[in-house]
Amino acid sequence: MTFYIQKLKSLRKTIYRNQYQINAIIAVKNYIDANYENDLNMDLISKVQLISKFHLIRLFKKYYGLTPRQYLINKRVAKSKEHLVTGMAVTETCYAVGFTSLGSFSVLFKTKTGKTPGQFQKEQLSRNKSIDDTSSLEGNHKSI
Amino acid sequence: MKVIGISIPVRDQEQALQFYTEKLGFIKKLDIPLEGGNRWLTLVSPEWQDGPELLLEPAPVHFEPAKVYQDALMEAGIPYTQFDVGDVQEEYDRLINLGVEFSMKPTEMGTVKVAVFNDTCGNNMQLVETL
Repeated sequence: MTFYIQKLKSLRKTIYRNQYQINAIIAVKNYIDANYENDLNMDLISKVQLISKFHLIRLFKKYYGLTPRQYLINKRVAKSKEHLVTGMAVTETCYAVGFTSLGSFSVLFKTKTGKTPGQFQKEQLSRNKSIDDTSSLEGNHKSI
Repeated sequence: MKVIGISIPVRDQEQALQFYTEKLGFIKKLDIPLEGGNRWLTLVSPEWQDGPELLLEPAPVHFEPAKVYQDALMEAGIPYTQFDVGDVQEEYDRLINLGVEFSMKPTEMGTVKVAVFNDTCGNNMQLVETL
């Protein structure tokens, strides 16, 4: 057995020993993944998981390294990129991923990605177009 | 400052290019010839081509301490770095079919599932799936 595997086994016995707790927190993360476009209702989640709201937030941070709210924001920004690439309008994207204010969506998006949603979309769409153009040029070239 | 890449020490850049593109599925982004047959060789993920680049650098060939460090990590089974995948088991099955050797099968560790393989260039690499 390698040194690395020994270390992992030891971690499982210490910080990852409470599998029941881990499963509950994974369930919370899966819940956010499935409901990111809705309001995050931590009261409801904590009732389902039978853990107090504040304890649940602490545990989530302990196992995932960020709070459920931060995780939700990252999830929404990642999903909004997927929508923008398909050509969905910025305003429509904002509401589709669960943000309720266009202003805060734009600011958050820029903080997370370095670009505004509009700039990001323009770049992605022009990139796709140039890939299409290149493909068609290659196609023409072959036919010559 | 922006993080744009990570360098991976490799014993043979051409062999590394083949393994990382043909088996792992990365795409070559930059290939700039340098002196002595060395190259500035970078790769990106096919689904994230403007994301971070992997620099396949021949450090262990030219700098002995890099080789010593790489050998020590390899012997201890410690991954040099890790790649995020959607499903570790699926990727494990795919790579096993391509003849890739794993020192650790898919294993759950808290909120992640991990597996470790040999990149044939002197390194262990870890696959990670967030559960």
